[in-house]
Amino acid sequence: MSFLIDEGRNIQHLLMGNEAIVRGALEAGVNVAAGYPGTPSSEIIETLSKVARDRNLYVEWSTNEKVAVEVAAAASFAGLRSLCVMKQNGVNVASDFLLHLASSGTRGGMVLVTCDDPGALSSVNEGESRLFAQILEIPLLEPGDFQEAKDIIPWAFALSEKIRNVVMVRSVTRLSHGSGNVRFGSLPGTSAQAEFVCHGPLLDPETGPIISMILAAPELQHGPQQEKLKKAAGIFETCPFNTYQGPDEPELLIVTASICSLYSREAVRILGLEDRVGILKLAATWPLPERLVKKHLAAAKRILFVEEVVPTLEDHVKVIAAEAAGEIGAKTFYGKKSGHLPSVGELNPDLVLDALARIFPAAAGTRPAASPGGVTDIPQRFTPARGMTFCPGCPHRASYWSIHNALALDGRGGFVCGDIGCYVMGTLPAGFSTVKTLHCMGSGSGVASGFGKLRSFGMDQPVVAVCGDSTFFHAAMPALANAIHQRSPFTMILLDNRGTAMTGFQPHPGSPTNVLGDEAPALDMEKICRSMGAKVEISDPFDLVKTREKLNRLLEYGEGAKVLILRQACALSPEKRGQRKYEVSVDAERCRGENCGCSRLCTRIFGCPGLVWDREKEVSRIDEMICAGCGVCADICPAGAIVRKEVAR
Amino acid sequence: MNHFGSGELETAVIQSELCIGCGACVRLCPYFDSYRGKTALLFPCAVEKGRCFAYCPKIEVDLDAITRFLHGKPYDGNPLGHHRGIFIARAGEKVRKQSFQAGGTVTALMVYAFRSGNIRGAVLTNRKGLLPEPRFVTRSADVYRASLSKYTAAPTLSALNEALDKGHGNLGVVGTPCQVTAVSQMRMNPMDKPGFKDPTALVVGLFCTWALDFRRFETFLAGEVPLEKIVKIDIPPPPAQVLEVYLEDGKREFPLDRIRPLVPDTCGYCPDMTAEFADVSVGVLEGRGDRNTLIVRTERGERIAREAEEKGFLVLEEMPRENLEHLQWAAGNKKKRGFLRSREAGKVNGEPGKTLFRLAPECLDGVFQDR
Repeated sequence: MSFLIDEGRNIQHLLMGNEAIVRGALEAGVNVAAGYPGTPSSEIIETLSKVARDRNLYVEWSTNEKVAVEVAAAASFAGLRSLCVMKQNGVNVASDFLLHLASSGTRGGMVLVTCDDPGALSSVNEGESRLFAQILEIPLLEPGDFQEAKDIIPWAFALSEKIRNVVMVRSVTRLSHGSGNVRFGSLPGTSAQAEFVCHGPLLDPETGPIISMILAAPELQHGPQQEKLKKAAGIFETCPFNTYQGPDEPELLIVTASICSLYSREAVRILGLEDRVGILKLAATWPLPERLVKKHLAAAKRILFVEEVVPTLEDHVKVIAAEAAGEIGAKTFYGKKSGHLPSVGELNPDLVLDALARIFPAAAGTRPAASPGGVTDIPQRFTPARGMTFCPGCPHRASYWSIHNALALDGRGGFVCGDIGCYVMGTLPAGFSTVKTLHCMGSGSGVASGFGKLRSFGMDQPVVAVCGDSTFFHAAMPALANAIHQRSPFTMILLDNRGTAMTGFQPHPGSPTNVLGDEAPALDMEKICRSMGAKVEISDPFDLVKTREKLNRLLEYGEGAKVLILRQACALSPEKRGQRKYEVSVDAERCRGENCGCSRLCTRIFGCPGLVWDREKEVSRIDEMICAGCGVCADICPAGAIVRKEVAR
Repeated sequence: MNHFGSGELETAVIQSELCIGCGACVRLCPYFDSYRGKTALLFPCAVEKGRCFAYCPKIEVDLDAITRFLHGKPYDGNPLGHHRGIFIARAGEKVRKQSFQAGGTVTALMVYAFRSGNIRGAVLTNRKGLLPEPRFVTRSADVYRASLSKYTAAPTLSALNEALDKGHGNLGVVGTPCQVTAVSQMRMNPMDKPGFKDPTALVVGLFCTWALDFRRFETFLAGEVPLEKIVKIDIPPPPAQVLEVYLEDGKREFPLDRIRPLVPDTCGYCPDMTAEFADVSVGVLEGRGDRNTLIVRTERGERIAREAEEKGFLVLEEMPRENLEHLQWAAGNKKKRGFLRSREAGKVNGEPGKTLFRLAPECLDGVFQDR
């Protein structure tokens, strides 16, 4: 049984931030949880699924984030507590439904957890979900440490029920994936009864239908929605997670939130500025508790904002300061806009130190000399430089090899529209720089559908889109439907690696099991594409010759959308892990090395990390520790020097 | 010699649309490949001087060096190239009767070369549908299947490279003038490989005015005839001015004016109609569709042709001098046009790595003055 359902009140556990969020949800008595995988959020649904049976929960990996919010909303409408979880980019996907949900309101407590990724460590952009809280006009909470990550969840559920609207809780990578001690509270009972009461009067929030239908009468729903937000702002004035530490009249007031509050505390401590600098750590960041903020502004002349990505705290606090200027006097502000902190990327204690050192030059001398380049410099000094690449045995490398070569041989300047998954690295040398557009989930096929229609403007380049199996169900099917209906001649390549591989093999609608490991109907992508009207081919990407030939034929094949399914499980998939199909070795006598006829194709271009160039002997060799035994490199070696032998079972 | 690598080759030949797709750079390494008549560089290679560049017949072709290598004398611009004799030829009674393009001379020579042990393998061009398919064969029986003209450029030499990679020697090669030029450069061992031995034993050149771009030709024909029913394609000698497509159930003729736009631009730079660097060259005899013109150029070519005649594989007649006038005129015209076009583009004795041909300036003047 998971320690996360430990009944022992007040016991402490070392928890990852995402586990703390799970424990918080369990202590809140959550009944339903839905999400779509995405780093750094994925552990929340996964961890909940492990205690689902014990705690009588319904948990699912939904097809996409919008569906996840819809599933969670249904539970709320039926009076249950529900959680929906996603990374920031998922909020973009869910935002259409969310806007309507914020208008219709909720019943049972409903919390949206979004895990943002400042610095885009595992994302294709550095998106910002906090702004959605403003657009949606819903309250936003940001826990500042691991204990709060747990404690804030039940508080958020209670708030949601008080204002009858969805509440957003935002985490960030360093909180979700960092770990800290968390003291447990008690777990409620597990019985719950769902009923959707909906036969009352149209606008009765207790018994009527739950609809978002303003129809030229904004006062009927938008008005009440704003009242809910005002109510939340009032509650936020006494939110226990807004804290202040420091002198009563600090020389500098740091206004911060989330994980940045820890960076701020560390930097202030290192410079010995505890008696001169105060830290106002806000957990209720939208709408801001105006009275609380004004009180702290009044006590300081200089204000430093410490926050990541878009300066939202900075903007909103400045508005409060401007409105209260007559009362509290003029202030000097430091932050992203003044250039004291960078406007892109993650923050860290060093960056806050730099900002403080500029404001307090005399204190800068107390900065420790142990890490002259900053704490973040240490790991970089001791790890070798290495380009991003696919794992040994990754099917994507083989797929891109064939796609690249098919397009080069086709010779008409064809290109690939990329999509979201490990295969974003098709933009890099790891994928032979084959991918030429890259945006969000499902957009590769949509963009390709558009490119395909530019033939009438003289564009005769073949258009290819790549799309993962999970991405196909998430958002690419509408794009394929569009292409088929509009007769857009593009080739969609489904990189079917048997799961949502990049985020850890979560099941998707094409998987034979669900999040609990129970058998589930698996949707057949091949049949779906055929019945939609596409010409469909299937190939094993490890068969380089056949894959390339099939793709070339599809590229030449006249009108309409075509689909090539490249099916091979991810090298790290549970079904493959630890099992090598081939023992691979290099015959040093036959290796041509850097000579005419090879020029180190395997290590210089193919670039599987399992292949190593031996500088002294000037031949390639296999790194047996990491070779996954896929055997594909044997087929690219022009000299037949890479030898593969099937492993006996 | 001005030799460079794959990158320079790609820029100067492929991207400049000079590539005819002969296959000389294909199967030497994993970087060049050919698909439906077009050659592509798949990835950048880091070798600074490669065989690909050295063999390519569309870049840095040193006509003097090749002629010295083959004949021990400089290139002189003769319209028909260096030759020891010119004959009217056809297949003899020892050669199986079948459909030949003209007199069956090429098939007869190759079959005899196999049977006599002069060659142990041959690089030929078959056809798969409309697509020419390079073939390496090791039996005389396989020669017959390659007997008809393709008229489209073909990566034939990729099969030669593949055979050499496997260690084959004593090879017969049948190719167009550009392919024969590439083969002659390969025979010169341009990369100074130690222990190199000329792997060819008989190089048969085919007369060529121009070749067709496969992809354009296929697109053209697909709009005109059912491709799968094509059995033979022919361009009968002047004055016909047509391309004949023989179908299973009849024949279609297309005026050459409709066909010429399908000729790749690169053929306009070519000064060689009769495959001057072959051991023997073969074309259709003007005015006699069932006979060939055979130009014998080298000692080994002469020896094999004479032996083939003695053993009944080949029937040779002396070529009356007056019959040669038109051939000489046509070959001289192509030479002038090709050199003129090349010179206008700055590709004769020009910048290293960007020049098509190198030859003595006096010789070039001689070509232009010769009327």
